[in-house]
Amino acid sequence: MQIKTEEFAELAKREVAKSRAYPSLKNAPNMLYTKRMVGMKTLPDVAAYQAYGAAIRAEALNRLPELLEEFEKNAVANGAKVVWSRNAKEADEYIVNLAKERGAKFVIKGKSMVTEEIGLNDTLNDQGIVPWETDLGEFIAQQMQRPPFHIVAPAINLTCEEICEVFMKQVDMKERTLDPVALGLAARLFLREKFHRASFGVAGVNVAVAETGTTINLENEGNIRFTKSSPRTLVLVMSIEKVVPTMKDAMHIVRLLSRNCTGQRLPAYVSMDSGPKRTGEIDGPDEMIIVIVDNGRSKLYQDTRAREALRCIRCAACLNTCPVYRQIGGYSYGWVYSGPMGQVLMPLLLGLDRTQHLYRATTLCGACKSVCPAGIDHPKLFLYYRSMDVSGAPYFKGKKRPSGEGRFFKAWSMALTHAWLWNLGVRLARNVINKFAADGVISKLPGGTFAGWFEKRDLPAIAKKTFRERWKETKGGN
Amino acid sequence: MKDVSLFIPCTVDLFLPHVGEATAFLLRRAGVKPIYHQAQTCCGQPAMNSGYTQQAKKAAKHFIDLFGDDEAVVSPSGSCTCMVKYHYPEILSDEPEWFGRATELAPRVYELSQYLVDVLKVEDLGATFNGKVAYHESCHILRGLGISEQPQKLISAVKGAQLVPMNQADFCCGFGGEFSVHYPDISESMVQDKIKNFIESNADILLLCEPGCLLNISGYLSRNLPGKKVMHLASFLASNGREER
Repeated sequence: MQIKTEEFAELAKREVAKSRAYPSLKNAPNMLYTKRMVGMKTLPDVAAYQAYGAAIRAEALNRLPELLEEFEKNAVANGAKVVWSRNAKEADEYIVNLAKERGAKFVIKGKSMVTEEIGLNDTLNDQGIVPWETDLGEFIAQQMQRPPFHIVAPAINLTCEEICEVFMKQVDMKERTLDPVALGLAARLFLREKFHRASFGVAGVNVAVAETGTTINLENEGNIRFTKSSPRTLVLVMSIEKVVPTMKDAMHIVRLLSRNCTGQRLPAYVSMDSGPKRTGEIDGPDEMIIVIVDNGRSKLYQDTRAREALRCIRCAACLNTCPVYRQIGGYSYGWVYSGPMGQVLMPLLLGLDRTQHLYRATTLCGACKSVCPAGIDHPKLFLYYRSMDVSGAPYFKGKKRPSGEGRFFKAWSMALTHAWLWNLGVRLARNVINKFAADGVISKLPGGTFAGWFEKRDLPAIAKKTFRERWKETKGGN
Repeated sequence: MKDVSLFIPCTVDLFLPHVGEATAFLLRRAGVKPIYHQAQTCCGQPAMNSGYTQQAKKAAKHFIDLFGDDEAVVSPSGSCTCMVKYHYPEILSDEPEWFGRATELAPRVYELSQYLVDVLKVEDLGATFNGKVAYHESCHILRGLGISEQPQKLISAVKGAQLVPMNQADFCCGFGGEFSVHYPDISESMVQDKIKNFIESNADILLLCEPGCLLNISGYLSRNLPGKKVMHLASFLASNGREER
């Protein structure tokens, strides 16, 4: 998947125009947001449940190296094979080679964001192995060659008309229909045959349990369970941060994930895998391989502040509540992840230099932080990234800001500790900018740093007498 | 009479001095004496938010030197209050002496409605207004400081005023400091949603406690819907909903 994070501003501008033309685009996140609010009400003490989730994720990260080793040991004892991949290339190559060795012509897939991140579908396609996404939304997005609009609901922005169009062409649909149930059935019939013939399945992992070596998936369509039980070879791909210490911890994460994500107490399917089919069992894959992907995470893990970004459990509550995501949708962020969770994670994976927009295109409103079941303080991370960006911190490829901005803040900080200099600055600024005022309102300033403001709004002229001047004159109104 | 130190944000000083005067007026009416340190400038929030931590630290130290001995510091801004209360100790965490002073000052810094209702236990400030008002829950007031009831109590005590509910009152208005300058299209779309909800609430005036939101929303209204009115709660209470400069 092509990385376009540097084009954020242009992409977002285009998407804003689109959502203005089709206001229904804004409904989807709002619907999920409302469902979440209803779902959270089924908890006796929301704050306590969320805080417990945050504590589990914090502990899991603090003990990550040890927990991963424990998970590996137990998964292997269960009969699974564990493969470590340092980066996307290693993971892709391993999976593609295995598929070739097993003689797979095609692969069935359960929806997995980490396989998007490592670009697995592209690599499979390049090697002549067709990946079939089996989650309905992901299947639609794949057919339309679109990136996920939303990390949980990848095609939630598309209309039945658009889906019908592509299904008529690519999914053997016989008759045109705008009935969502009929469209769903067409996809099911199309995919059913793939499921039956599949010899190779790939799925993601929602939670991995260290003490038992178990992997857990949450879903509503049954396609992941199908993907995991039908083929002879099953590959589960997970990023390193998915592991939690105990099954009890995992169950709490499941409780929080389903409610924060879709407002459900439990999704329709929760499946757990502890190894492949054993002797005497009639179901399940002959072999199970768990591919654990690093792809830059252990590097960011070394920074104990940035590490917080890895707490995420991918519930997408932050997307649905984010006032920016609600305006621009998931295509603007330029890579796999979107919304606040993507804005805290992608700069660390890709480098601060090519993701400046991601940590700057936020009002720091804190709505994301207020809903996060993993206790991520997104605004604080954005401020941290911005400060590393300004200082040019090399570890995350901080990029120096435009020199004019730096000079402005230097002068500003000098003035603010000397009241006389500050007041002089205010008088100068007033003389200059108030020249552009009419009736006490400025509608435009020629060029300059603040041009963006005047594109859309007015600003009052600087007061003829500032508060300070008025106070001095009236001796504080006394 | 107890002295209360006014912490007037630079946006208020320059663009909205009437909000500062209303703040002083309300404090007097509530029975305390506002004092004002003439050497105050800016709390440093713009620098911190842009990533200029070193410059923000300079602002923080200047502020702490100036306000450090005050018994109570009160500001008509949530984000500036957050800056001093929560961010000063963070950005000064690597300088033990300053960190100590910042931590000591933090609990004595209040947002105006919080100080009036929680500390002075005053809700009725004698204002009257005949009409409907809606309340915008600014991000740093609501999520930053946990303030929501206090301003609404002050509004509910206004004789004749009816506080009406507004959809998505707790959604960001699209200001975000540098955000509004760097991403005007997204910001505009956000403020449009806010105004749509305001209009649908049928309120005569939209009230808020944050100068940044006020500049953003009033700036958009001034250009597009000049008949619609948004006010800082302090000036609303001090002028019975009439205000203006």
